[in-house]
Amino acid sequence: MTSQQQLQHLYWRAGFGPRPQDVKAGSSPRKVWHQLLQNSQVFEPLTGPAPPPNEPQLVMSAAPAAGTPQSSMITTPDQTQRQGMIPAAGGAAQMQAGSVGQMRRRELTPAQRKQRNLEIRSAFYAMNTGWLNRMATSPAQLREKLTFFWHGHFACRVRQPEAALQLNNTIRRLALGKFSELLLAVSQEAAMLQFLNNQQNRKQRPNENFAREVMELFTLGRGHYTEQDVKEAARAFTGWGADAQNRFVFRAKLHDDGPKTFLGHTGNFGGEDILRIILEQPQTAEFITTKLYRFFVNDTPNPAHIKLLAQEFYKSQYNISGLLERIFLADWFYAAPNVGTRIKSPVELLAGMKRTFGVQLADDRPLVVFQKALGQTLFQPPNVAGWPGGRSWIDSSSLLYRLQLPSVLFKNAEFRVALKDDENDIAPQLSRADRTFQQSVQTTVKLAPVRELLAQTPAPQQAAQLADFVLQTPIRPDSLALVQTAAASAPDESRLRTLVTALLSLPEYQLM
Amino acid sequence: MPTSRRDFLKASVLASSLLFVPKFLHALDRQGLQPLRNSNGRRLVVVQLGGGNDGLNTIIPYRNDEYYKARPTLGIREQSGILTLGQDLGFNPAMTQLKGLYDQGKVGILNAVGYPNPDRSHFRSMDVWQSASDSDKYVGTGWLGRYLDATCSDGHLPYTGLELDDTLSLAMKGNLRKGLSLKNPEKFHQLTQNRFIAQVSREKASAASGSELDYLYKTLAETASSAEYLYQTSKVYKSGVAYPNTEFGKSLKTTAELINSGIDSRVFYVSLTGFDTHVRQQEQQGRLLGDLSSGLGSFTEDLQKAGNLDDTLILVFSEFGRRVSQNASNGTDHGTANNVLLLGGGLKQQGILNAAPDLLNLDQGDLRYQLDFRSIYATVLRDWLGADDQLILGREFARLPGLV
Repeated sequence: MTSQQQLQHLYWRAGFGPRPQDVKAGSSPRKVWHQLLQNSQVFEPLTGPAPPPNEPQLVMSAAPAAGTPQSSMITTPDQTQRQGMIPAAGGAAQMQAGSVGQMRRRELTPAQRKQRNLEIRSAFYAMNTGWLNRMATSPAQLREKLTFFWHGHFACRVRQPEAALQLNNTIRRLALGKFSELLLAVSQEAAMLQFLNNQQNRKQRPNENFAREVMELFTLGRGHYTEQDVKEAARAFTGWGADAQNRFVFRAKLHDDGPKTFLGHTGNFGGEDILRIILEQPQTAEFITTKLYRFFVNDTPNPAHIKLLAQEFYKSQYNISGLLERIFLADWFYAAPNVGTRIKSPVELLAGMKRTFGVQLADDRPLVVFQKALGQTLFQPPNVAGWPGGRSWIDSSSLLYRLQLPSVLFKNAEFRVALKDDENDIAPQLSRADRTFQQSVQTTVKLAPVRELLAQTPAPQQAAQLADFVLQTPIRPDSLALVQTAAASAPDESRLRTLVTALLSLPEYQLM
Repeated sequence: MPTSRRDFLKASVLASSLLFVPKFLHALDRQGLQPLRNSNGRRLVVVQLGGGNDGLNTIIPYRNDEYYKARPTLGIREQSGILTLGQDLGFNPAMTQLKGLYDQGKVGILNAVGYPNPDRSHFRSMDVWQSASDSDKYVGTGWLGRYLDATCSDGHLPYTGLELDDTLSLAMKGNLRKGLSLKNPEKFHQLTQNRFIAQVSREKASAASGSELDYLYKTLAETASSAEYLYQTSKVYKSGVAYPNTEFGKSLKTTAELINSGIDSRVFYVSLTGFDTHVRQQEQQGRLLGDLSSGLGSFTEDLQKAGNLDDTLILVFSEFGRRVSQNASNGTDHGTANNVLLLGGGLKQQGILNAAPDLLNLDQGDLRYQLDFRSIYATVLRDWLGADDQLILGREFARLPGLV
């Protein structure tokens, strides 16, 4: 494997893909890793749409904000009006009428409820596209990639954009630190407490949902605790809740402070004790390591690798960046079975194209449509288990949409899809017309860096060289021939664009 | 409907909740497995009512005071044209074509279908129905996808399961096999005719390796050849039956044309959405039920004319029913148990197949389920499609004997 391929591999796995200048400079994986880590030191919260006047700012538990919020997150009203998908939603216009935002749903009139639905949808669209753009442009690639990983691990889907955004920023803030801190913070997030019904968990009538998922999906995995452990843990979490400002509150009156026996320990445990005991189990380190390995290395874990990594992870008291460093600097990480063998998730596919080629849309909303058509929408995981990943991304229609997408982004081809109603659960009941997208998308792309990358290469070899940069798996000879034929028939001025589009439309590009 | 049969069904419903099936029956089933794998030319059409259809205003208990007490303005009165079915139940006045089919003995109604610990979220509940999982388990495949896994040989093409839509539902995704989604054969064919994609799709996957890249090439090749087959085959039969001019009507027409053209697909999946009736339910639901009824009326007529209705079973479900009480906006909020309708020429039992929902025994204002929906799936999988229901559903659910 060439060193260029190694660098590309690292950029794809630890971030959202390489830009031409990243590989042109030449470097070593070790240097690039340290650069990625360095660039991800800063934590900058993702921002939602501006709150309406006369209303309190969003309460961020992730207080230490470094840097300035991205104004690009805000959906401007004219963008909204240009496009038919979302009627009369967005930005400032929405927020002036936004006084219904804080009211209880059942107190709203039908008109207010409709207004609130529009606000919610608009806010989720802004958060979604804002994050996707950040994945494509942020220097903090590692932090955003880890945030994306934990977004699928601590999968949570709530109607309140404020709570969803706050959880997202808590994850972003702690994504690279200690898993123990991340776990506690996520467990005390309003969104999670609500999604997993801990708001209803009280002494007289324990609700076990949160306790169960914390163990089954977030830490230990099924088979490493008993039903009795679930019951006891649920008792310990009684009284954990959130107030109207999405702040964690401990409601002592609802808490069961009697003795509990959990995983062999007995005491008058509270929720923090349960999490501490869970983290004392080496199985938790093994479970989390396996999940990270499957995401960053290979869907089929290597037991020998996992065992060593998990032991070190446990010894380091769950230091996430330390674990990642061991993975990304291991020789086996760059071995052939682990390179170009993972099917990109829809978000990785989209963010990767945007990053590598500087693709920008005149109006970002179609980015959400693409995600829905391909089967992965940020902030809307299918359930608490997250996205299953791997081959589940691919079926006949999703594959065709994937292969069409480069023509849509690079050649203004029309994208046409009617989305399902259940994919709009945030605000159901859209008419078919509102669920139908049929238009070409205005974009700008940056091809100058690619041109520079190929500057020293004679024309006949350019396709092959570009393939080496764009694809993480060797291109099939038949496919290379097709790409060369497509480019040869294009006029000079659009030859490079045609080359890029053709390479991105190959099954090879679906892999990283 | 004779009492004895109802009692028998009731008993089987009880058995389903207790998983009370003697061991020797399993053994018998296993022996009979091989010949059952072939679905004998039978097909299944699943109709999904998205948004949570209000079952109580679909199959109306019009002699039940509790119903009118809970729904003083939303309850539908007999004089507004309820289409009576016997046993004090009647179809919503909008469902005239379905009433006609009912009278011909082509409809079976199952009441109070649900599952333990129901979830009232649209997407989660739909997940449960589509994956056939318990409400606290997360399964990334669908029951029909696993049917494709279990029954399709290596020569399988994705059109064995067809969804009439632009994107594929969880229900149709298996571990190894997935269905194919398309709005209509012409448009889908066009997509694969994009010059570059068409050329790429002709590249062969290397048979042995099983790599992700080969999987992608294989999927693409199968998609292209399926599109070609569907496009060419669909030209054989053009429907002469009038369908309602709605999306749902068009999807059913496409389905009937494919079936009557002799397409070799076993499972079809069609959706009708918009049932989330929190506000002013009556008008909206009436329109949708009319759409459902007239669409299925045309569809069954179309199939009957071509002699294909006896081999077709239609299953109509929604992710949940609504609350028993109406809300302040003349609508209903998310509820639990609901009706499932079965239609077709091959139904061995018709009419109202189990007891009406018990409105006096509610769970905090919601219906309690009498019949697990997976008992219906098990029945359809085994007795209709001849598949291994236990393998597909992951465990045993008592089937409804002698139904299909």
